[in-house]
Amino acid sequence: MKIELFYIPGCEKCATARAGLKATAENVIPGVTWRELNALDELDYAVELGVLTLPAIAIDGEVVFSSLPTSGQLRRELAKRMRS
Amino acid sequence: MRSSAHLTIGKIAALAQVSADTLRYYERERLIAPTAKSAGGYRLYERDALRRIQFIKQAQQCGFNLAEIRSLLALRGSNAACCRDVRRVALEKKLQLEAKIKAMKVMSNVLSQLVEECSGDNRPLDDCPILAALERANGGKRKSR
Repeated sequence: MKIELFYIPGCEKCATARAGLKATAENVIPGVTWRELNALDELDYAVELGVLTLPAIAIDGEVVFSSLPTSGQLRRELAKRMRS
Repeated sequence: MRSSAHLTIGKIAALAQVSADTLRYYERERLIAPTAKSAGGYRLYERDALRRIQFIKQAQQCGFNLAEIRSLLALRGSNAACCRDVRRVALEKKLQLEAKIKAMKVMSNVLSQLVEECSGDNRPLDDCPILAALERANGGKRKSR
């Protein structure tokens, strides 16, 4: 599974939250691919995936969160995808 | 109440190259408000309002809707906000515009294909490949006329 988090650099609050979400993802799915993408550098790719707001999280190429989720929300989403 | 520093709605509208109705609409949308009213009840604006109107017009040209412009104006007047906040809003708007452009390109390509398929001759509408393709796309069958 691949998780891609699109962000804008400079947001300290986001940086802290991102670290927590990454830890959650790695805890739920060991070996998960976690990428953090600067939306300014990856604008075309963000558009391709349909990112409209920032920060946003895409899982396996699908935008699932249009703002940063809580750790619990991410955990539930990943668990749901693991089951299906 | 009216001083030389104040501009009437007609005057400021002319300076900003918008109509007085537009300014009343902006007022209803809480984008701009007159500073005062004359004894006769006419709206009066300070010269600074001109900059605000120009800001609104410019933001509209960049694709922002009025609600978004209201947020931008709030950011502009906020001591807690900084340039980074504005950049985030601008980047999100760009993402939305790019998504629209992408969708419109798909539409345009579909239309190009349909135009290509149609010879544009005098055949009856029942044989029109464009109408037929559009109906196929809807999963429907062509009704007999």
